[in-house]
Parts: sequence; C-alpha cells; structure tokens
Amino acid sequence: MTTIESNPAVPVPADPEYGTQPAPRRRPMRRHVPTVVWLVGILALSALVLYPLLWMVSASFKPSSEFGSNQGFFPENPTVENFVKVLQGIAGIPTWRFFANSVVLGIGAVIGTVISSSMAAYAFARIRFRGGPVLFAAMIGTLLLPFHVLIIPQYIIFRNLGMIDTYWPLLAGKFLATEAFFVFLMVQFIRNLPRELDEAARIDGCGHARIFFSITLPLIKPALITSSIFAFIWSWNDFLGPLLYLNTPEKYPLPLALNIFNDQTSTTDYGATVAIAVLALVPVMLFFIIFQRFLITGVATQGLKG
Amino acid sequence: MFRTLSHRTLTGVAALAVSGLALTGCGGGGGEPAALETDEAITLNYTFWGNDDRAGRYTEAIAAFEDEYPNITINETFSDYPSYWEKRQTEAAGGGLPDVMQFDFTYLREYADNGLLLNLEDYFGSGITTDDIDESLLVTGQLDDGTYAIPTGYSAWSVFQNPGLLAEVGVEPYEGGTSWDDYDAYMASVTEAGGGSVWGGTDYTQRIQDLELELRQDGRELFTEEGELNFTQEELVEHWQKGQDNRDDVTIPQSRLEEINPVSGFGSSLTTSEMSWSNFLGGYLGDSGAEEITIVAPPTSAPDVKDLYRKVGLMQAASATTEHPAEAAAFVDFLINSPEVGEIFGATLGIPASSTQLEGANLEGPDKAVQDYLDSISDRLGEAPAAPVSGYGSIEQTFWTLGKSIGLGAITPEDAAKQFFDEAAVTLGN
Amino acid sequence: MATDSAHAPTSGSTAASGTRPADTRRTGAPGTRRARNRDNVAAYIFLSPWLLGFIGLTLGPMLISLYLAFTDYNLFRAPVWTGMDNLTRMAGDDRFWGSVRITLVYVLVGTPIKLAAALAVAMLLNYRARGTGFFRSAFYAPSLIGASVSIALVWRAMFSTDGPVDGTLSFFGINLGGWLGNPSLIMPMMILLAVWQFGAPMVIFLAGLKGVPAELYEAASVDGARAWRKFVSVTVPMLSPVIFFNLLLEMINAFQIFASAYIIGSGTGGPGGATNFYTVYLYARAFQDRQMGYASAMAWVLLLAVGVLAFVLFRTSKSWVHYAGDSK
Repeated sequence: MTTIESNPAVPVPADPEYGTQPAPRRRPMRRHVPTVVWLVGILALSALVLYPLLWMVSASFKPSSEFGSNQGFFPENPTVENFVKVLQGIAGIPTWRFFANSVVLGIGAVIGTVISSSMAAYAFARIRFRGGPVLFAAMIGTLLLPFHVLIIPQYIIFRNLGMIDTYWPLLAGKFLATEAFFVFLMVQFIRNLPRELDEAARIDGCGHARIFFSITLPLIKPALITSSIFAFIWSWNDFLGPLLYLNTPEKYPLPLALNIFNDQTSTTDYGATVAIAVLALVPVMLFFIIFQRFLITGVATQGLKG
Repeated sequence: MFRTLSHRTLTGVAALAVSGLALTGCGGGGGEPAALETDEAITLNYTFWGNDDRAGRYTEAIAAFEDEYPNITINETFSDYPSYWEKRQTEAAGGGLPDVMQFDFTYLREYADNGLLLNLEDYFGSGITTDDIDESLLVTGQLDDGTYAIPTGYSAWSVFQNPGLLAEVGVEPYEGGTSWDDYDAYMASVTEAGGGSVWGGTDYTQRIQDLELELRQDGRELFTEEGELNFTQEELVEHWQKGQDNRDDVTIPQSRLEEINPVSGFGSSLTTSEMSWSNFLGGYLGDSGAEEITIVAPPTSAPDVKDLYRKVGLMQAASATTEHPAEAAAFVDFLINSPEVGEIFGATLGIPASSTQLEGANLEGPDKAVQDYLDSISDRLGEAPAAPVSGYGSIEQTFWTLGKSIGLGAITPEDAAKQFFDEAAVTLGN
Repeated sequence: MATDSAHAPTSGSTAASGTRPADTRRTGAPGTRRARNRDNVAAYIFLSPWLLGFIGLTLGPMLISLYLAFTDYNLFRAPVWTGMDNLTRMAGDDRFWGSVRITLVYVLVGTPIKLAAALAVAMLLNYRARGTGFFRSAFYAPSLIGASVSIALVWRAMFSTDGPVDGTLSFFGINLGGWLGNPSLIMPMMILLAVWQFGAPMVIFLAGLKGVPAELYEAASVDGARAWRKFVSVTVPMLSPVIFFNLLLEMINAFQIFASAYIIGSGTGGPGGATNFYTVYLYARAFQDRQMGYASAMAWVLLLAVGVLAFVLFRTSKSWVHYAGDSK
C-alpha cells in the first residue's frame, strides 16, 4: 500500500487532454509548448466565459433608462447611483441585513447537508442491510419528480408544524438530506474508495462509526468540499423557499431583495436590479475562491491500490 | 348601476347572516361596529406586491395606522407580482392567507367565488366608510353576494407618446380620439421618417384590451354575463389578420421587441407611441428617460359610444379566515380613505378612488397629467365590465403570448385563434 | 470482516435485483446472523436523518401529488376524482407534445455538449495544478448566478441584433441576426446558456480527477501509451463513477429545465412557444391556470419516463462503471 502524494508542483507528465503530444524522448519540448498552448487556450476560454459577467458588472453602472436603448458593453452615462440606491436599504431595512440572512441560511445549509448526506451515503455505499436497494431506488426516485407539485403539500406540513416565517422550513430539508443529489454524489465517491482500509480497521475491531469518521470522511474530502460549495450556492440563490415560507422582510435573504427593484406592474429600476445582483455575487464568489483551494490540496491519500 | 345598487341591498342582508354564522367564535364578532373597544394587542398580517418605492410608502402608511390604533400591529410582507400570486395560491391551498391583502381586480372573482375573501359589506358604515368613493368604482369590488375588495385607484386605456422622439423624426403627434385609420397613418409616417431606427408604435392587435375596446365600440363586452367568450373564433382570426399590414410595414418588429424585453418598445424609445393603462406613465418615464410623455385618448370607430372605462387596478381585500375581521376592516378603511395615506402614495396606486384621499394626494407633475387625461375622456367613460371571469389572468396572458407569436411569424392567426379558443375552453370550464 | 462484502445498491438499483448474488465480486463468507443484525442497526442509524426527511417531507407530498394526478384540483377547492381524464387530455394536448419535443431535443443535444465541455475544461485545469485557482473560479463564476432578472438582461444583450454573438458570427460571414426574435434559434441559445453554466459538473469532475493516482498515468506512459489511449484506458475507467453521476444527474436536470427557460421566456413559453419546456408548461398549468391535477399528472408522467431511462442507465452502468471499492 503506497500513498501517492499528488504534488501540485510536479505536472502530471502525461496529460490525456493534450492530443498532439510528442514522443516521450523529446523532453525539453514537452515542457514548454504545452504550457504555452495551455495558457493561450485557457485564457481565451475564460475570456469567453467571463464576458457576460463583465457585461453585467459594466451594466450596473448604467442609469435605468439606458437598459432599453443601450445593450452595448459600456454605459453611455456611467453612474454610481444604482449602488448608492441599493445600499440605502429597502423599506427601512438595511441592505447588509439581507446579506447576513443569506449567510446564516447558507452556513446552515452547508452544515446540515454535509452531515446528513454523508451519513446516508455511508450507509448506502458501505453497509449491506435489509431494504437497502429499495431505499436507494426510492432516493433516486425523489430526484425525478418536478418539485412544483410538492410545493403545496410541503407548505401544509410546515404550516401545521407552526414553522411559517421561521428558517426551519428552509433548513430542515438540509439537515434531513432531502436533496438526493448530495447523497448520491457521496455514494459515488465512497464506492470508489478501495476497501483495504475498511478491512484493516475492521480487523482492528473498529465499528462503523469509527470507520466513517476516521477513514471514510477524510477520504471523500473532495466530495464534501464539492457538496459544501453547491449547498452554499444553491441556498444563496434559492428564491422559492424563502418566498413561500418567510413573511417578515427583516428575515428575507438576498434573492427576495434582488427582485424588489423590479415591479412588472409599475416601475422597474433595472440599474438597481443589476447593481444588487452584482453585489450579491461577491460573497458567493469569495466562498467559492476560498473553498476551491481545498479541492487541490485536500487529497493526499488516494490511490491505495498498490 | 341602478341594477347593481338594488342587487346589493338585497344580498347584503343574506350575506350578513351567512358571515355572522361563519364568524362565530372569532375575535371581534361580525355585526359589532368598528369601535374596536378592545385594547387587546392584535397583530395583522398585510401583504402587497410592488417595488422598493412602494414598500417604503407602505411602511409609512402602516406607521400612521399604528399611531391611530396603538393596540394593532401590522406585519407587512411583500414580493414582486408573479411571486405574489404564487405565494397567495399556496397559502390559499394551505389555509393561511394574510389578514389583509393588496388585491388585483383580475383575480377578484377567482378568490371571492371560492370563499377566500371577507365580505367587506358587513362593515360598511360600521368600520368602513364608502361615502367618498365613487359608486361606479365601488361596485367593481362587488360580486353576486357581497363586496370583497375596495379599489384604491383606477386608470384607463390610453395612447402614450414621446414628444421628444417625435420631434427628432419630425412628425406631428397623434391627436387622440380619432379614427383607427388616423392612428395607423400616424404610425406609418413615423416609421417612414424613422428610417429603420424609430417606429410609430406596436402591433395593438396582440393585446386583449384592444379587442375589448373594439368590441365595446361595437356595444359588446369580452365576456357574456354567463362568463363565456363573447366573440367567435372567426372574429378573432379577423382581428389578428387586421393587424397584418401594420405588422408588415409599420409597427416595430416583434423580433426586436423580444430582444429588449422586459422593456417595451416605447420604454426603449424605439417607438413614438404605445397603448397601455394610464398608470404606466411613471414606468414609461423611468424606462425611457424621456423628459416628457403625453397621454391621449385611444382611437375609436364610434366616437359617440362610451367605449372606455375606469379600470380599477389595485384593491384592498381581507381574508375570509382572518381572526380579527373588524380590525382588518379598520385597516382597509384606513388604506382607502385616509388623506394621510393619499399624501403618502400620491397616484402610485392609481388615481385615488376616494375623494378624501384624492384631496390628500395633491397630485402634481406626471400624476396630474394622468388625472387630467382621465378628466378629458369623461365623455367616453362608460360602465366598467363585470369583475373578470375566473381565470381571466391566464386568458389575458395566453392572448398576448399568441399575439406575439403571430408577430414572430411562428403561428398563423387561424391557428392562434384555434389555440386560444381551446385554451379558453379549458380555463373557463375549470 | 465477514460482513464487509460490498453491497451495491447502485448496481442493484431497482427492485428484483435484490436477489442477485451481490457478493460474487467479493470474497468473504456470508456474515453471521449477529453481524448482519449489527449491520442492519448501524445502517438505519446512519440513515436516520435521511429516512426522517424522506418519510416526513418527501414521501407524503409525493403520494399526495400522485393522488392529485387523477383528480381535478384547482387549489382552492377540494380535489375531485376524475380517473384517467388528465392522462387522456394530455394525449390530445398539442402544447404538451410540443413541450415534450423541445425538452427531448434539449436533453439529447444539450447534456452531452455540457458534459463534454465540463470534462474537457476539468482536465485542462487538472493538467497543471499551479495557478489554476483563478481559472477554476473564472469557469465556475457563471454558475454562481441564480436565475434572476439580471441574467435575463445579460443574456438578451449577448444575443440581440449586433450584440456580441451576432457581431462575431457576422465577422465570419454568418448573418443570423438577433437570436431572441427567431424562435428557431432559441433552442441553440438555451443550450449555450446551459453549457455556459457548466460549473457544477466541472467541479465534480475535478474532484473525481483528484482521485486518479498519477502513478497509473506513469505506468501507462512506460507502456508507451499515447494520450488518447491513456484517456480511454486510465482516465475514463477511474472517473467512471463520477461520469456516471454527472450523466445521470445532468440528464435528470435537463429534463426538468425550468429557471433559465422561465426567465428567458418571461414564464410564457415565448418567444413563439420556443421556451415552452416540460416543466415550464407544467408550472404554467399548476400556478397560472391553477390546474394542479393536470400538472401533477404531467409530473408523474415525467417521473416514470425519466425513471425508465435512469433504470436503463443503471443497468448499462454495470458494464462501464468501475468502483475501486467494489472490485478487485
């Protein structure tokens, strides 16, 4: 059993992506040409992908009346008014409040999802138990039904539990692993772990709890990080849940605030709508930038197949 | 109007009896005047749709109400228009509508017919004062057996024009209230002078309001008294076909409109005119950035017919299941009558329906222009159609969507009319 | 030790296969009864949060919607049992079949393109580990935006007449004009929008690629394997559980495409019915027309159809998905 350090400093010599790779003998070429090509390609690609976002940032400096007449990149009459307006708050509620609410919900979602989904995934992937296949199929089945038809029954449940206008309806599902996406994702990662460590631990007399905490969880760190990222972002962008379950504006998270400058029945302030959307991107962007680092450094114990 | 009045007095008694039964055991009790003797601390939930501007105004209005009724606390909640109705439907299905709601005429019948709204008539004279509201507006909240919502304001169908843009292309504005041919000719001359960057208007056959206008000029309504479509599939085909010449050469291409959506052609300063409800003036000013926008009367084929009407927009209603009906009624009364509220809102909820509120509102600028417009068309204002049929919102939307599809060339008027009638059959049969 | 045999609900997925000798791929004697009981207890303890959520929040509402599928339910009044009416109506509903058609095109064309893009970029990012943090973030950035008015504004600007897309194509002599006003170009546009937001599968691929031991590539290099060969014989098998996950989930998600179509088409299915995807139509029926019975029937038809596809995928997965923990 050997542990492969995936050292970031050492490029994986054989890049499967790079098709026109020269023969292994000509080493000097191999280092530089691919790097240059790689860099040019990836820069071009990111420019393409980022352009719409940059447009959005640029558009946040357009006065509202320019949105119909000027779809170009640059504002004709740039203004910071949109940001000034957005930062003044809505109906007496300071704007930071919506951000804070979203952060609270996002962190709750991450904690709940990671704990509950990894537990369920361990059971599905590593324990052989009565009813397992049926429950697994049922879990996959929950992915298949469009959620719109569940809205009203779920609303009735939470209403009967007296949870309207609290964060419980938004968080309960996270702590109860109702998003099969995460469970299934972790199942796939756990099943792809070699069993040797489990077996060794068992021989040492470890129970499932011990194996789960000290072997499985550390080994599926990439999946946990990935799930955390998604759980946070999805919670950050969730509109429907907060819309249905929250009544008090002081409890509103950002997505509800994003829509408030946009009234289809009278006046829409497009400038402010885009400005607050740009501001709303900043925290998730930071969250992603911080967490994606773990995607590289987190895995040092893979490849136990030796 | 005479008909509706007598009708109301008759049904009022019955309604009172029914609601008296229904409300047994709840809070203040039905027949009690809204003296609200109780000092018990009460909380009412109130909800509205709108933007940040409206939210700020409601916060002010609620503070004023709470000053007057120190034992009542109003919890407000708000969202944008489509979300608003999704949430209301979910609450209605789950049995938990807010105590008091900003309401839309379009959905009045759907909710009231299903017993979801409080009959406010029980509080007329004892909590809700209706003396200052024009009778013709008040009856819009009335269905067969009671009054379920009270209008805050109204508007009327109109032609908007952008004088600045007209000056640029050098065309005289449409004078308003003349023949459809005149209006078409005006649009054509703008489009010609605009040289491919400015158009005279938008294909008006794609909105159901224009069909309604044409029908009313013909002495008919969109729906029969039984709530069925009051026009034939052939007539609809004809209606849509009539717009073909304009679509080909005159009005702004639908493909261009799709690109700038949700801003309209007029809001983007791409057309010099557009027909819509008069209360859209503020929105148009904001979207286009134009310094001035004028309003004139829509064209007509029968100048003597009272084809236009005062369209109630926003209304206030209460939930049938509220635990505090008397307090809810007091809040509705405050919202529709208080001069203070009138001052806070101006004409942002439509030109105030209550005269006390109108005085308080002290309209100026664009709001004044809307009011002047409404005064100017008084000769053409007829009786408003009955409260829209259940499902009208969906029918109106389908009509517009199909109208746009015709403009894109994605469907023929014949197929569109067939699809519309199929859809309407399902919706109305519901 | 005796009880560790790999139970694989994944491969045994639905029904019947419970009887399949799951332990053919593992040695290990069948566990003693006591060990099996212990496993059962442990499994249900681990599953308890999920089970509570499943029974309390998901199963009930699902069964209610199944019941509603056979009723006429307008949200405001009690549902009325109508038997197969919703299904027969669906069979003759042109808008329904239109939505089925465009949704299928979207799934069949869009999903492979999105997955290929996500995998290609993930491998590009995985190629070098240093300095890729920025690019990873750049590629993920589009996926950070929720479906909002802003994204609709951005997207409209990109695809309008003389906008960046039209401008670029015109430069190459392709004159399509604005895409939004042309119903036949809405589908390619929606697919591009989906591909643009390929961040989620990309991150999952990246996480999976981190698990592929570099030594396998080295061994392949020593054997003189070329890049494509290494991709086929090392990357794909090692990544297969993740590929399978992304394929299944992206397919399911594509069938349920809603948010982007809703904002682009303003919820009306426009322009010209081109964004009338399955769930957009379902939603319109449920909440705009208040025909929740019909919408529920549509939801269950979709569940069954996609369920069959998922079942087939699970079945075929046995031949190409390899779990390091299952086989030796």
